[in-house]
This record gives sequence, structure tokens and C-alpha cells, in this order.
Amino acid sequence: MPTIIIDTLEIEVPEGTRVIEAAERLGIMIPRFCYHPALGSVGACRVCGVKFLEGPVKGVQMSCMIAAKDGMVVSTTDEEAMDFRKHVVEWLMVNHPHDCPVCDEGGQCLLQDLTISGGHGIRRYEGLKRTHLDQDLGPLLHHEMNRCIHCYRCARYYKDFTGYLDLGVLGSANRTYFGRFSGGILESPFSGNLADICPTGVFTDRPSRFKGRKWDYERRPSLCIHCSLGCHTHVSARYREIVRQEARPSEAVNGHFICDRGRYGFYYSDHDTRPREATLAGKPVGWTRAVASTTEKITEIVRQYSPAAVAVVASTRCSLETQAATKRLCIDRGFTGPAFFISTGQGMRTRTAVAGCTPDLAVSLGEIGTADFILVAGADPVNEAPMLALAIRQAVRNGAEVAVMDPRPVAMPLAFDHLPASPDDIDKYLEALAGGNGEDKAGAPLPVFVRSVSEKLAASRRPVIVCGTDMVSARIPEAASRLAARLKTQSRRPGLFFLMPGPNAFGAALLSESPNDSLEAVIEKIEAGTVRALVLVEAAPHRESPDRIRLEQALSKLDFLVVLDYIDSEAVGSADVFLPTTTIYESGGLFVNQEGRLQGAHPVHRGGLSIHRTGKGSHPPRRYDAGLPGATPRPAWEALGELGADLSRTWEGMDREAVLEWLSKKISAFSNLPLEDLPEDGIRLDVSSTIAPAAGATDKTENEEAESGIELLLSDLTFGTETLSSLSECLHAVEKPPCMVLSIGDVKHLGLKEGDRITVQLKNGTLEVNLRITERAARGVCILPRHRLLPWQCVGTGRVWVKKEQIKAQRHKGTEAQS
Amino acid sequence: MTADIPQVLFRHRKPHRITTLAEYREHGGYEALSKVLGGLKGGDVQQLLEDASLLGRGGAAFPMWRKLATVAEDAPFPRYIICNADEMEPGTFKDRVLLHAEPHMVIEGIAIAGFAARAEKGIIFIRPEYENAARILEREIENARAAGFLGPRILGSDYSMELVVHRSAGRYICGEVTAQMNALMGKRPNPLQPPPYPTDKGLWGKPTVFQNVETLACVPHIVRNGADWFRNLSRTETGAGTKLFCISGRVNRPGCVELPMGTPLSELIEVHAGGMPEGSTFKACLPGGASTGFLPKKHYDIELDFDALKKAGNRLGTAAVMVFDQNTCLVAATVNLMTFFARESCGWCTPCREGLPYILDLLTRIESGEGRPEHVPMLERMAKHLWSAYCAFAPGAVSPLQSLLTDFRGEVMQHIEEKKCPFK
Repeated sequence: MPTIIIDTLEIEVPEGTRVIEAAERLGIMIPRFCYHPALGSVGACRVCGVKFLEGPVKGVQMSCMIAAKDGMVVSTTDEEAMDFRKHVVEWLMVNHPHDCPVCDEGGQCLLQDLTISGGHGIRRYEGLKRTHLDQDLGPLLHHEMNRCIHCYRCARYYKDFTGYLDLGVLGSANRTYFGRFSGGILESPFSGNLADICPTGVFTDRPSRFKGRKWDYERRPSLCIHCSLGCHTHVSARYREIVRQEARPSEAVNGHFICDRGRYGFYYSDHDTRPREATLAGKPVGWTRAVASTTEKITEIVRQYSPAAVAVVASTRCSLETQAATKRLCIDRGFTGPAFFISTGQGMRTRTAVAGCTPDLAVSLGEIGTADFILVAGADPVNEAPMLALAIRQAVRNGAEVAVMDPRPVAMPLAFDHLPASPDDIDKYLEALAGGNGEDKAGAPLPVFVRSVSEKLAASRRPVIVCGTDMVSARIPEAASRLAARLKTQSRRPGLFFLMPGPNAFGAALLSESPNDSLEAVIEKIEAGTVRALVLVEAAPHRESPDRIRLEQALSKLDFLVVLDYIDSEAVGSADVFLPTTTIYESGGLFVNQEGRLQGAHPVHRGGLSIHRTGKGSHPPRRYDAGLPGATPRPAWEALGELGADLSRTWEGMDREAVLEWLSKKISAFSNLPLEDLPEDGIRLDVSSTIAPAAGATDKTENEEAESGIELLLSDLTFGTETLSSLSECLHAVEKPPCMVLSIGDVKHLGLKEGDRITVQLKNGTLEVNLRITERAARGVCILPRHRLLPWQCVGTGRVWVKKEQIKAQRHKGTEAQS
Repeated sequence: MTADIPQVLFRHRKPHRITTLAEYREHGGYEALSKVLGGLKGGDVQQLLEDASLLGRGGAAFPMWRKLATVAEDAPFPRYIICNADEMEPGTFKDRVLLHAEPHMVIEGIAIAGFAARAEKGIIFIRPEYENAARILEREIENARAAGFLGPRILGSDYSMELVVHRSAGRYICGEVTAQMNALMGKRPNPLQPPPYPTDKGLWGKPTVFQNVETLACVPHIVRNGADWFRNLSRTETGAGTKLFCISGRVNRPGCVELPMGTPLSELIEVHAGGMPEGSTFKACLPGGASTGFLPKKHYDIELDFDALKKAGNRLGTAAVMVFDQNTCLVAATVNLMTFFARESCGWCTPCREGLPYILDLLTRIESGEGRPEHVPMLERMAKHLWSAYCAFAPGAVSPLQSLLTDFRGEVMQHIEEKKCPFK
């Protein structure tokens, strides 16, 4: 560990630490443009030049390029070094426009900061500025090439870090251009980070362009809730509206970046259709009246039937506080539930995965980068949890190999081996790998791919198994856990990484009594007449359940439906009572991500209807009211607390503190935790004693005999399938058109071809969709995205098989004759 | 050519055509290769080159043996030997003349140098303007291969060499070895700051030795005639061998001549370049291409070898001598050079990418009579700071400027005071 002196301060740093990093540890921020902790040092901008007075190198050198060595004495304030840095800034400003007031980066611009702090106030250069043409890069990023200072961060991030190739460096000398060969929407689903890493205004966030300056914003740390990874973000609000979300660095979780779904997913919070008033039978009423009517009606149903006739269904996107409030309500009042999962199968798979997240095996997203072999089973990283693909890519950049077993034509910006296997086959293979067998259960030899995976697992020191829980059976996460445990006994350092259905699926699993606590189970009880009233908390079953007709029939059978939500789901329209709730940006909340990391989001703003809505274009936008317009929504846990207090005299309201106190007392996984004051990177929960592995438990659908035909699998896409981000209009343009995917091996006997518009006759209706044929999909399955533009909810519950006669190509007679 | 001047590289040069393989063999061609493959070890060749004091002829004058010796014994395979024929230094055309004279001399040099580093993959990286030379090389590589001097198991030994010609996309920076490495790998030709050195981790992470055309051409002769013979070719103690000089500018007979290392500049101009035109007197010259400083008249008799030029605060570079007479405006000449460098900067680091156009702007102002006294210290400081750029391009680019400001300051000030170019 070398010791180095910087500006008379001595510090000991690990071998290989760059001088710029060593200085940072001392609190000395040496100027930088091209250096970025995630992208490393390249010595391009030359603004981190400092004077080396003693040691192996001498003179003005770049502090990002030189590793600290014993005996080094460095001065950051040396006259020559300062003069050099001043010149670098002057050179950078030669071509940079002098128009900060009209640049959206102004106020959070590194170039602006360094120009001012470097004392470059007067322009000496008298020549003309070099100018460029800008490109239209799509709805998410604005491009202004004239502002470029050529730090190469964008190209290094885009090509090297994320592995997408459509943006890069063109030209040379001071005509060097950063962009695409020609304009067009950026292909990377991680493009928004360009706005974060660009040290000046070349790439700025397009949707929030000119919404305000950084100092205008209410800006707080938050979390992304658009998948189960729980990436850290900074959210900015202005004039009662969320305007921007940026990545918040987190070593354990997302590193320095987030995906575009996460970054731009927040628009639901100020959506045109967001319901903000409590309603009774569809008519706006005061909050108190709505709550009173609810308790009155529920009391009546309880009296008439039993407490169990009232069911509570929440979701995996509820905060932990809300989930705990539903739990308390059900325990105290004897209601049915709470159910958090759409189907019993989903609940089981999640619980099994949660049970596998033992502290010795579970790895964080950040730790995936340390793997030397990664087996991905039943997961499609870019589509299900985009940032996972970036984490895997970093492992590959460090030399890891990746093998994927998944029925989908998985695409990732990295080299990997892919076995397009059906869920049943993945089950079989993973079972064989977990047992260390050379053949599957039926005694058949394993495919070469699986044998090679087995060899690579055996040869690796740090294997990580990434396992999905969406389209696989509960046996797969269980087998993944056993495989990891077996590798551990062979003195390896295995890691286990599950994906889960929702940002707080982990919390939901901890609070579920049994796997049968699902929406599916509640629907059965409604159909059987045992449940007469339903409290639906921040759940959108019309959107997420695969059997819409059955859901609608069940809901119409209810005596009473209460809905609490912050989006205008179809359930809101059919509710007897609706209570508007706040979003994560207004109330904050705790979430447990898929590795069991409990982390918190801060409230960003007070909420209310944004000024651009209340002002209706008037200038200045004014409205003279005592209260905040549109601020009726309350945190769901508070609303549930009011219901609880109204229903039971023993409750004294239910503010956040009370919920958390109840949680730490009643649920062992949360006892003795500083729930009110979590560390930045959260706390990894130890759930090994809390939740039993669901081994042996079977989802009844799993035992269904495979029927003849092709199995229909539902899947997620990066954009357009997740409920909340699907409401973001700016993401609609980057969505890929949804299509059904079939293996090339299966289409022949179906008489279909690529690009066909097909109709699929399903249980509850007919689906029209475009067909994509690929050799990279598993045979015997067809894959349908849960896309907002497809009425996929006619598929039906359980495993679904489609026979040849159910699929038809819609062709004009003429084209049919040709083919 | 004076009879007593020893000719090595140009000895068998034919007027108006290249020598054939048969002709090359007639005067001892490929004997060195068979001698090397007949029992010498890589280390023997390195020792020979060390004894011969063969310095790189591409401009940097790095000892060739040391480069070969830094390829570790246990370094991984395949290893690469690159012949750098990306001759982009303004005023330099010796490699082209040599390739059009005796291409097999270079091919044999590549094979021997490759053997010394156990490199079995050879690439000739050639600038696109040298399309004729590239075609000649491709044809002659085939001939050499057919004769068993290239390809698998050369001359029955266990050494193989696959040699290909790679045409550059055509940028000055591609001549810089680390940039050339990127170019060969299909990446942007930005230089890379060592470590790792190319001899440790070069092309695709494998050891790679870069050598200039002329350096490689010297190798067969050293092997055949010995280190002492080579060293004694030089007229100075510090030099070794002969050198190809490219003479251009205000001389009567511009061209490329082979002279012993250490030949005085005055002799080069007066004897070998036919002197200066009537009425011209020597004012200054660039001794080694565009990226060396102006050599003022006080050094008119300097011995042209790497050491002497270094002592004079300059560099022999590629030994491309550009001669200026008393009627040449050196400010205008520097503007010309700076235009080239500002255009050829790869754009990687700030001082080079933005500093050179800035310097060009100031110099152009001075040349056109818009210069102000404060521009001179500005130029001086910027030139000094350009030495803190990423690679050696910027320090080379400001060398003429720095010597202009030191040795011809009066001429610069005259432009400013008279508000015009005194030569116009």
C-alpha cells in the first residue's frame, strides 16, 4: 500500500490507486472531464494535470494516468500546473458556445464549473468557432455537438461500457464528432445515461429540456420501481411535477447508471389520467366521506357474512409500508389476504427464490461483475431487468463467459452462448446440473450445451447463477439454489441472483402467509361466493392478469369494491369507492429488491396537480386557493390506517412510524433494523430463518399434462409491458412493435412466414399480432409480450397450448397465391 | 554520386525500375536470412544489432536490438513484426525510394527481425499514396514465398513467416506505432500511452515489434558484413551505418541520397544536393522532417547524426532536410507546417486538438500583419504546454514554432512591428 503526499497531506492508498482518486479521498477534487469512475482513465482531456515534485515521475503529469507510488509528492496548486490547467480550459472554450443562459446543461455543467473556477473569464481567442450539424437522436436525448469538449465519455460509455455500436466517434482533429453515422433513435436502452455523463450540454435530457435549472428543482434520492433490481436514482421535481430522473451512484446495486425504462418511467405520476379525487359510485366526494362509506359497507359485509368475506389484494409495486399496512389490516380484522401476486404460481416462484437468497449465496447486482462464469436460466436480462445485462457485460469485459438457457431469442450487448430451451427443458437441465448428473431424469444424455455448462461451472472460481421467475416453474429457482449450494460445497464462491416480479416482490413474499395468497385464489373465492368485498391496493389486475374476462366477471359479482391507486387502472372505473394514493415521489417508501436489499426512497415533493395543469397556460400561472390543488391523494398505508382505525377502536391511525413499528415487531425479518434511517446502500435482509423453501410444494398448473400443440409463454419487453412505465409517452417511440415469436423449426408445419399478420384463437378471444420467426427461439413454444398495445389478457390462466388450427395468417388472396 | 561514398542500401539500385528477386540474390540477397536460419539464435541477431548500434530510422532513433530484446522469452504467440511504411512526415520520401529500389532487402530484413523476436506474422503497414509500392510488395512477397524465403518453414528451418501488406486509411498519426496498432486492429488510430508497450502487449494483446522500412533494410547487411563494418560506415564515432537523406527546398538537386551517418550538413547541401540556387544563401533548415526545429545558420557545418543534432537541441528525425534561403519567411513556413499538424491531430487530447488550431490562428495573424506583441508570450506558453499532450505528436508539432520563437524571434517581431510580412 503506497503512501503519497498531495498538497502536504499524506495518505495511504491501495496499490494501483490513481493519484486523482487518492486526492479525492483527501477531499481534493482535481478537475476532470474524461476521467469517470465507471469508465476509468484515458488521459484525453488533460485537465487533471498536477505537478509531481518528488518520486518516480516528475513535472506536470496527468493525475488520472499515474498510479500512486511510494515517495510521490504532488502539488495540485503548483503555478506551472495551474497555468497548464488554465490553458486546457481556455482551449476547450475555443469552440464552445458562450451561451450558458440558453443551454439546458447550465447550472449542472462541469465545463461551466471548471471554466469559472479556473478563472477563464476573458476570451483571448479571436478566431471563428468550429461548428457542427446536430443529429436527431430520438425522443430521449437532445444533441448539440457545438458544445462538445471531446472528453470521449459518451463513446466510451456507449460502446465500451454498454456494448452498443450505433453511437461513436467520427472525424478527426478538432472536427471530431460524436454521434451516429446518420441521425435516428439511439438503439441502446441505456442511452439516457449519456445526459448524466456528458460533462457539458452535448447530450441533454430531452423530455425535461428547459423545465428548469438544477437549483430550481426539489431533488431527492429515490429508487426505481420499474423492475425488481431497485436501482438508485435522483428525482427532480419542479412546480409540483416530476421532471427528471437521474442515476444515483450505488456500488452495490446499479453502479453509476440506470436504464431508460427506469429513467423515463416516472411520467405516470403526473399523467393526464391520474385520478386525484376520492369517488363514491364514480362521483367525486370528500376523502372523509369516502372512507366513512367504505367502513360502513365493510362493517355491514363483515356482519352479514364474516370478516373473511372481505379480501385485500395489493401488489408487488406497493411500498413495504403499504404491504405491511394491508398485512396488519388482514391480521387484525380477520380479512382474507393480503394477496400480492397475480397468480399462485407467481407467488410460489417468488417465495422459492426468496428462500434461496441466503446470505452466503445471494449476490448483488454490483457483484455480478466479479463473476468468471454466469449461467442465465429462464431470464432475458435486457427485457426483464435491463441493468442486469450491463452488469453481466462488465463481468464479460473482465473475462467471464456467459451461457443462457431461455426459450426467447435473448439478445444482450455481449458475447454469450444461448440454448433456446423450453421451460420444461430448462427444468430438466438445471435439475441435472444441480444433481451433478450426466443425464436427465429420464436417463437421456444431456445436450452438448449443458455438458459444456457443467464443465465451465466446474472450472470456474466465481460462478453466478442468474435465474428468472417469470416463465419458469417453481422448480427452477429451487434447482438453481441447489446448484449454487452444491458448487459451494466444492469450495467455489458461487453466487445466486434471482429476478422477481416487481420492485417489492421480495417484501411481498415475506408478508405472504402462503403461496395461495394470490389474486387468482381470491378470484376463486369470489366465484365461490365466500369473498363479497374486495380492497384493491395499488394493483392493476385488468392490466396484469392473463384472464381478463374471468376477472371482470368476478369483480362484477362483488358486493363492494374499494380501489386505492395512483394510476387510472380499469379497476378505478368499476370501484364503488376509490381512494387516490400518492406515488413514491410524494410519499417515499421502503422497497426490498430481488436480492433482499431493503432500501428507502425519500419523498421528492408534496405532490398536487402540476402548475402547468392548474395554470392552463396563463402567465404567471396563478390559482388562488387555500390548499394545494390536486393534493387529495394520501399514502396508501395512511389510507389503510384510516380504514383500520375506523374499523377497530384499538388502532390509533397508521402513520409511517406506526407501520414500521408494527412491522419490526411482528415480522421477524424486519426486527432490530433501523427502518427509519437506512444506510445509502440499504441493508441486505437475512431471511433464511423466516421463509421456508417451497420445495415439494407444487403449483397446480405445473402438473398439467403437456398438451399437443405449442405452449404459449407470456414475456416482458424492455419497453411497453411494465405497467407504470408504459404510461410514459416519451418511451412509446422507442418501443419495438410487439410481435409473437416462433421458432423457425415450428413454422413450417404451421404454414407461416416472417412478418405475417396472424390471428390466434384463444380461450377468451382472438388476438391479432405480427409474427417474428427466428432460429434463436426454443421449439414448441410461442412467445407473446404482455404489451400495452396487445389485448393479451385473453390468454387465460395456467399453462396454455395453442394448436395449429388456432393460428391463422391473415393474407390477401393475391399474396397467398404467390406464396 | 562521388565514388568514395559507400553505398549499402542503394548500391544495386537500378535506374527507373526495381531490382528483381534474381538480381537481389545475385548480389548476396537472402544470404543473411539463410545464415540466420542456418544456426543463429534470436539472441545472436539481437547481439549483432546491439554491436552494430543500429538505431531506428523512423524518427525516434530507438535502438532496434532493445525493442527485440523486450519481447520476453516466454511471451505468448502469435507475435507480430510490423514494417512501418506509413511514411507521412512532410519532406520524407526515403522509404518510397527504397521500396522502389530493392523491395526484397526490406522483406529479408522483416524475416530476420521477425526471427529474432520469434514473430511469425508480419505486416507491412503502408500509406495509401504508396499504392504502387504496395503492389510491388505484394508481388515480390509472392515471389519470395515461391522461392521459399517466406511462408511456412523458411529454407527448411522451423521458422515460418506470413507477410501481408496493409494499406493505411491515410492519416499522419497512423505512423505513430500505438496509433498504428489501433489502426491495424480496426479501431480509431488514437495513440495509446504505454505501458503496456507493444512489445509486451501489442496487436490483440500479443507482443508486436514495429520497425521502420529503412531500419529493416539495414538488417541483412549487418548480418552479412558484421557489426564493426556497419559501425565503421559512419563518419562520426557516435553514429553507425549509412543514412538515407531526403533533401528538398532551396537546393539545386533535391532528392534522396545515401550518405554515411555524420556527413556534415554543409557537404550534404553543397556537394550532394548541388548547392543552393544562384543568389540564395542558407538561412535555416529543418533537419529531420516537419516535426523538428529550424536549424539556424550557426549549425551549418553540423555533422548529421542523431547525437550531434540532439546536442544542438534538435533531432535528426527522419533525416529529411528542408532547406530555406534568405528570402523565405519562416513565419509563413511555420504557418504552413502548423496547418498540416492542426489538420493531422487525431483529436484525442485537448492540447493537440484545440491548442494547435489556436497556435495556427495566432501565427496566421502575425504573418498577415495582425499580430500583437502579447501574442508572442502566448505562443511561447502554449508551445511549452503542448509538451504535456498525450503523445509525441504535439511536442513534434511545436518544435518548429519553438525554434522560430528562439532563433528567429527578430523576424517574428518584425512582422508585428511592421504590421505585415517583411518578405512580401
